[in-house]
Amino acid sequence: MGIGSSAYLFGMERIEYSQLNQGYEFPRTVYRIDSTMVADYLGVIGETNTAYRDTGLVPPMAVAALAMAQLSGNLSFPAGAIHVSQTFQFHRLASIQDSFTSCARVSRKHGRGKLRLMTIAIDVYNQKKGRVVSGETTFLLPASD
Amino acid sequence: MMFAVSELKEGLELPRLTKPVSQENINRYAEVSRDFNPIHIDADYAGKTPLGGTIAHGMLVLAYVSQMMTDAFGRHWVTGGELTVRFKAPARPGDTLTVGGQICRVHSSDDREQVTCEVFCINQNGETVLTGDTSVRFRKNENSR
Repeated sequence: MGIGSSAYLFGMERIEYSQLNQGYEFPRTVYRIDSTMVADYLGVIGETNTAYRDTGLVPPMAVAALAMAQLSGNLSFPAGAIHVSQTFQFHRLASIQDSFTSCARVSRKHGRGKLRLMTIAIDVYNQKKGRVVSGETTFLLPASD
Repeated sequence: MMFAVSELKEGLELPRLTKPVSQENINRYAEVSRDFNPIHIDADYAGKTPLGGTIAHGMLVLAYVSQMMTDAFGRHWVTGGELTVRFKAPARPGDTLTVGGQICRVHSSDDREQVTCEVFCINQNGETVLTGDTSVRFRKNENSR
């Protein structure tokens, strides 16, 4: 839901919403998810499915969550911005052996009255360039003018 | 609880999950997902926004939907699942969320089945937090387990 905060910094120079035009590509980010992180994630969610127990598998939503967090860490949205919709497709298994590369771009940006909608497409690949997770996230933002 | 292929039919309810939301759990999710947006973790900041207080990450709520789908469809969800959701209202500390859904369509081809589900998340007051659709594909001759 709400995401806007101009005081919210992730260590990288943040990109203002007004600078984000359709087609803009965010800097790629690379990350890994080790067994401790998987265990922590499963513990927080309360996920006990045997699919993840001692299998080395990474929940696809954990892959997606880290891609989303890295994306939002690069953004500076006005207060009042809201995460309104989300799609994800899971394409193949993710493993603790994998290195993930997240690619994101602005796929749509348009207005609706005094509000603005922006959709960002995300693709996460493994080290073999196989797509693991893809999706689109849409934000509703107040007009700046 | 995981479904067998022979069980799959329209109207079949997905295994519901009930999840209490606490600030502690939101903080833990912020740590594992590295999403430290203050709207989720800073009560003073969040209290001054139109939301009036901290809210859970949308991705945390989505993780519960994914958990339900993993419970129902096992690895088939992890390797070929798709979801589209719309966030309708924030989940707040103190809420108790119920995640559920049902199969709304089973499409068969020669060797594959595609199951489409309607999913939802409501809070303890019956307010809709999230609605959406999910789908899973798998071969006919294999169990969904």
